[in-house]
Amino acid sequence: MVQIYNDYKDHADFLTVYVREAHPTDEWQMKSNVKEDVCYAQPKTLAQRVAIANDFIKRFKYPIAFGIDDITNAADAAYSAWPERLYIIDEHGRIAYRGGMGPFHYTPEEVRAWLAQRFGAVKHEPPASSSAMQAPAKPLSATTADTAR
Amino acid sequence: MSLFWKWTLGVLAGLLLAAFVSLSILAGSPRDAYGMVRYALPHMHRGTLSVGDDAPDARLVALDGSSHFHLRERTGARPLVMIFGSYT
Repeated sequence: MVQIYNDYKDHADFLTVYVREAHPTDEWQMKSNVKEDVCYAQPKTLAQRVAIANDFIKRFKYPIAFGIDDITNAADAAYSAWPERLYIIDEHGRIAYRGGMGPFHYTPEEVRAWLAQRFGAVKHEPPASSSAMQAPAKPLSATTADTAR
Repeated sequence: MSLFWKWTLGVLAGLLLAAFVSLSILAGSPRDAYGMVRYALPHMHRGTLSVGDDAPDARLVALDGSSHFHLRERTGARPLVMIFGSYT
């Protein structure tokens, strides 16, 4: 999503809405969480959730604007967002795109396609060599060191 | 217990076992299958929103942990792409 943000930030606004943890240590922690040192318990207070969100931004130098869901998970409930989901809201305040439920139906390419249809496609040259760092496509909830796409 | 009920319970147990084995294969391990059923499924909701609906407003907290803003404050001028997710 960071790549899409970089490509279209002059045409659309982007907002990351941070929701309850997908794989906390005290619930369904995955092996990849341990491997990538992303080990947090499910926050019980807003302050705990804010701290984890700030850790994420600091680790990945995440450039997209951030809003954190209250500990009552109101935004998550309103948008059926957990564990991850994409939406586009148009200028009239209506839902223009509603992505599938993550992780299996979390599809940033659909967001790119919507933006491309509206504002034109942004093409990228392939990396010059196979050893060039290429960010894998992963949602915010993916336990990877790179969330760029 | 009558033969009928024994047979019925046996079939149910077999189906549950098959379902759990299938889920374990899908999830990657029995532990992940349990995690999926125990923690993920209760929180995953298809929801009722559709394209064309008015986007619900929500009050969000800024990264400083104290200031707030509403989603509706971020809509109006340009399309807003919302990325819901978490670190883990």
